[in-house]
Amino acid sequence: MPGVIRRLHKLKALLNVRHGPGAAILPPQVTRIHMEYAGPSNELGHMGPKKFLRENLPRLKYWNPATPMIVNRHNDNTIAPTLTIYLRDEDSHARYDDSTAGPDKAPTSTLSSAWDGSAKAPLPADNERTVTIEMRNQHSSVILKEFMEKTRAVPVFPTPREQAELDDIEALRRKGEVDRETVRKMREAQKREQALMNQAKSEAAAFKASTM
Amino acid sequence: MATTNQFLASMARLSLSAPSRPCTSPAITSIPRFLLPLPGHASSQSRFASGAPRAGGVKKKDEKKKKTHKSYRSYDLSDQEQFSLCDAIRYARAFEVGHPPNVVKYDIAVKLRTVKNGPMVRNRIRLPHPVKTDIRVGVICPEDSPIAVEARQLGAVAVGEESLFASIREGKMPFNRLICHADSEAALKKANLGKILGPRGMMPSQKMKTITGNVRNTMRELVGADEYRERAGVVRMAVGQLGFTPQMLADNIKAMMKHVKNDIAALEDEIDKKIEEVVLHSTNGPGFSLDSTFKPTDDKITPEHLMGPM
Repeated sequence: MPGVIRRLHKLKALLNVRHGPGAAILPPQVTRIHMEYAGPSNELGHMGPKKFLRENLPRLKYWNPATPMIVNRHNDNTIAPTLTIYLRDEDSHARYDDSTAGPDKAPTSTLSSAWDGSAKAPLPADNERTVTIEMRNQHSSVILKEFMEKTRAVPVFPTPREQAELDDIEALRRKGEVDRETVRKMREAQKREQALMNQAKSEAAAFKASTM
Repeated sequence: MATTNQFLASMARLSLSAPSRPCTSPAITSIPRFLLPLPGHASSQSRFASGAPRAGGVKKKDEKKKKTHKSYRSYDLSDQEQFSLCDAIRYARAFEVGHPPNVVKYDIAVKLRTVKNGPMVRNRIRLPHPVKTDIRVGVICPEDSPIAVEARQLGAVAVGEESLFASIREGKMPFNRLICHADSEAALKKANLGKILGPRGMMPSQKMKTITGNVRNTMRELVGADEYRERAGVVRMAVGQLGFTPQMLADNIKAMMKHVKNDIAALEDEIDKKIEEVVLHSTNGPGFSLDSTFKPTDDKITPEHLMGPM
């Protein structure tokens, strides 16, 4: 079992899932999100969606735990990666900052994420409409910007205490970088010296052997 | 450089002591005299015999004896952040977004305060909500007996004795759990299948309670029963799928903890084992130390928010 300190450092990364690009609360109109992209290969402009999934979607999921976010990963690069937002007009969907409204009694769909391309974007329900974002060849930040505009999500900012913690982590990271560089230089010098030593030794041995 | 100069002295002495004429003794004719070891000369000399330290040499340090610990390391958890179950689930779901929920599992690690040697915690548990659903049982029992019929009814995929052994030898194993009725134990021993079944962990044994007199009970236990054991002071087990509701997961964790506590109590009295920490993690997420509460700390979130499709 990893030690407490090591786990503690890892858990500090939790701040990263709470705050950063993508930390936003979706308005009650957004019922679910569906995104589709080709996973294993990054050709033909599927890198943006991949990064969006890795870096931004966890934050969105943290702040909107009740909103289904379904990802359909497949192998076909030729299909354009798209993000579909399902919007509903009435305010009946459960959401983070609405403690009075219960969650949906009957979930609109039991579809869940799949890595074999089987979770195709469902058709919108009667009271839903869809907005799509074309993600091909887009940087993840561009996708996020478009997403925020289309959903009118409200970004979440860290509290002063959290900001202080974030600053600490950033400082630790910078210090780590400096330290790594120092150690790398030291090790390189050691290795160079060792290599010179070995070379000299082997040359001496060769000389000895030749004069015998 | 090694030259002949070094040997000149001994050569000279040899030439003096050697007889001027060839000796007739057969032992000496075969080996030249100067090749024989000289008493009190080179053979008995040893290097650094005076005991003086070698000039310029570094004296080797005595290797420090490594301190050995009798028990596994335990940590002070007082300043460690701990989480309620719902908080941990909320984080885990955020980390697992986009992953198929039936693939991702919740695992639990129970750290014990324990000595390194001594009896281990090891048992099987039937969780209230089974994690694995793909268990197929094979039953070894006398062919066409009432037991075989019963086992078939209970959903065993392969039943029999010699026919089953033959199919195992051929490599056809449609099951991933194998139990044996006590009546067929002798036949199983004779069949010599340990080499095939052993590495797969399917060899029936009394110890694992897979040789049984009551097939019905064992099968019921086995379907949805998971094994856990203590390794390096930690008991690990999968306790749920990502699709589980927080309540289901709580039920499973409670059942598991109760079971582990009973196991510890069942060990001999002088064994001092205690549960130190319980850590929940999902397949791709970090570990969350649980503080044995359930409710989310964020009052805007209810457990109902944490279920439903991902």
